[in-house]
Amino acid sequence: MKRSFKDDFNMMSMLLIPIGVAVNIVGFQIANVLRLPIFLDTIGTILIGVVAGPWVALLAGLITNLINGIFNPTYFPYAITSMAIGLGVGYLAKGGMFKNIPKTIISGIVITFIAVIVSAPITVLVFGGATGSTGSLLTATFLASGQKIWSAVFASSFIFEIADKVVSVLIVYFIVRKMSDRYLSKMNYGTLYMKRESNN
Amino acid sequence: MQKNFIQQLHPLTKFFFALFVSASVLIIPGFIFSFLVFPMLLLIAVAAGVAKEFFGTVMKALLFLLIIVFFMQLFFYPGDHLIGQWGIFKWTEEGLNYGLTLTSRILAMGSVFILFFCLTEVRDFVKSLEDAGLPPMGAYVVLSTLQIIPEMRRQANTIMDAQKTRGVETEGSMLTRARAFIPTLTPLILSSISSTEERAITLESRAFSAPTKKTSLHKLTKSTADRILPFIYLIILLGMVLWRILT
Amino acid sequence: MEDTYMNSIIEMKNVSYRYPVSDDWIIKNASFTIEKGKFTAIIGNNGSGKTTLCNIIRGFIPHFYKGVLEGDVIVDDKKIIEYQLGQLGEKIGYVFQNPFIQVSGVKDTVFEEVAYGLENLGVEENEIIDRVNEILQLVKIEHLREKHPMGLSGGQRQRVALASIIVMNPDILVIDEPTSQLDPIGTEHVFDIIRLMKEKGKTIILVEHKMDLIAEYADNLIVLNEGEIVLQGPTREVFADPRYGDCNIQYPHVTEVALKLQKNGVNLKYVPIRNEELPESISWASVGESVYD
Repeated sequence: MKRSFKDDFNMMSMLLIPIGVAVNIVGFQIANVLRLPIFLDTIGTILIGVVAGPWVALLAGLITNLINGIFNPTYFPYAITSMAIGLGVGYLAKGGMFKNIPKTIISGIVITFIAVIVSAPITVLVFGGATGSTGSLLTATFLASGQKIWSAVFASSFIFEIADKVVSVLIVYFIVRKMSDRYLSKMNYGTLYMKRESNN
Repeated sequence: MQKNFIQQLHPLTKFFFALFVSASVLIIPGFIFSFLVFPMLLLIAVAAGVAKEFFGTVMKALLFLLIIVFFMQLFFYPGDHLIGQWGIFKWTEEGLNYGLTLTSRILAMGSVFILFFCLTEVRDFVKSLEDAGLPPMGAYVVLSTLQIIPEMRRQANTIMDAQKTRGVETEGSMLTRARAFIPTLTPLILSSISSTEERAITLESRAFSAPTKKTSLHKLTKSTADRILPFIYLIILLGMVLWRILT
Repeated sequence: MEDTYMNSIIEMKNVSYRYPVSDDWIIKNASFTIEKGKFTAIIGNNGSGKTTLCNIIRGFIPHFYKGVLEGDVIVDDKKIIEYQLGQLGEKIGYVFQNPFIQVSGVKDTVFEEVAYGLENLGVEENEIIDRVNEILQLVKIEHLREKHPMGLSGGQRQRVALASIIVMNPDILVIDEPTSQLDPIGTEHVFDIIRLMKEKGKTIILVEHKMDLIAEYADNLIVLNEGEIVLQGPTREVFADPRYGDCNIQYPHVTEVALKLQKNGVNLKYVPIRNEELPESISWASVGESVYD
């Protein structure tokens, strides 16, 4: 069934956005409490991208950064990254790249590239290469060893992102597998993950 | 919250102010003007009675970042005019300049938006956007998110406590802690998603998709100040742009 | 015959429905008529299709839930397919089981929560305030006025949900198992409200398991078994119908007692459905006779 851009924005999908945003934010907080080395702050966006499509996920990413930005405005510029991740996941999922584990891992790597390529300019141009977290120390180390700013930022963010994104996409993969057929049938792209063929 | 004159201004007036300050900091070269912005904002915060919240948030969100930004530019920004050295670390005039400029700009722009949110309730801001044309579904999504986040956090805590009593470890090696993550997150997500359908029905039962124009008990007012201030911002900005072009 | 049909507000003719992912028909060939102002209870065992039937009456099927719907559903002389889903909110109120989901999720006080439906309908602000005040008093939740909806108990939320729907003044109320998740006091409060609505002349369709309460309030019953309407009609007639026992559904307690007595030789003048009817429903003369057997 060919879906148009407008089709994606039905009520059920829009109602997923608050949940996706909350999962992004609460997921990050849980990871903090457990003192895990990765952020896990995009699980919601990825989940929405998989079941509701690229444009709804783009909105979810945008709103996540807008809300985080209320308490810390440095999140605002990175809204572009979140939006790109949502869009990327959505299109990858539409192309069937979340249907099994190997494909999902590849999606995770692709998403990593998207995240790094989109956020690097923001980090360099807006923040002069710093991100206010431990990633900056890694960047600083690269810079001290003689690398130029762009490659230093690319390299350090890549290392951080790949672990985070691959783990996040796998978590989403397993959660989608646990969703019932009846539930998936109500979602924009749920039919891709259902265990039996739809009768419609 | 007891509102004084500044807080009572229309949300968009305050928002345009934030945009105005951000734009001006980018137009005026150098770091002196930008560094002066912060104390001015602090004065406004004091006048509005939100000084403590404002100052606290700025420190928490920006201080660490600004220090890193400054030193990164100082040591690593490409430049030829060496002004100091200590061991392997050397700093240049260009680095110092760029460091101060970038830091002052981030401070100014970051803190003006923090001030905006200290002075404006999100609910009022969303309403002002709705009045300006934001679709009702958009407003719903944002407001609903704000209520769901604390709900989900509460549920997460409940689940984590229940897990602890069942023997799932949240301390210890990283692998142990990592294993606690998925059993906490998964039921949270699945139950939230499965409630979406009934949420949609609830909204429909409240005539959310009724084809009439919606009314609202929540009303925002525009005072004379709200009508004049945006124009003042615009005029000052234009003045700055002209000054920049002419000099 | 003509009179009944002129008063009918809801009509179903040969309606069948199945879900998109399923091959089985959830509702099979259902037909009934509901008159304006009457209180109809839908009863049946779990899985018999009661909630689905409610969804069809309210128009969620087919406007919201996909699937295959056959037959005609007519509300207020118009086929339900011809209504827009948004227009039905004013006509048919819908309250369901789970009190924790029936909050709008965007309002910070009970007052605003109850007003939400009226805001969506575009009612003028002063009228909204009057109507909400009136309903808060009617439903006796005035004391909850300033409280945050997320901080209420299940019973309180259910009353707020009912208030939020009633304030929109729909002619028809579809209420699906409103007391399943509540304690006895919560149940009593909810039924107080339902009784008020009956007194106001609303057409009420209620799905419930509590047979004693149904015996007290319902004018008519529709009995569902595996998607088919097996019995329907005035409450007394349905309970007294011998086929009712085959459906394996509970009777009102007093009816059960009376029928057991009947099986043991006691004659009944009629089948009682309310507690106070028991003494006069028994043919005491016959009791006297069988004592000597």
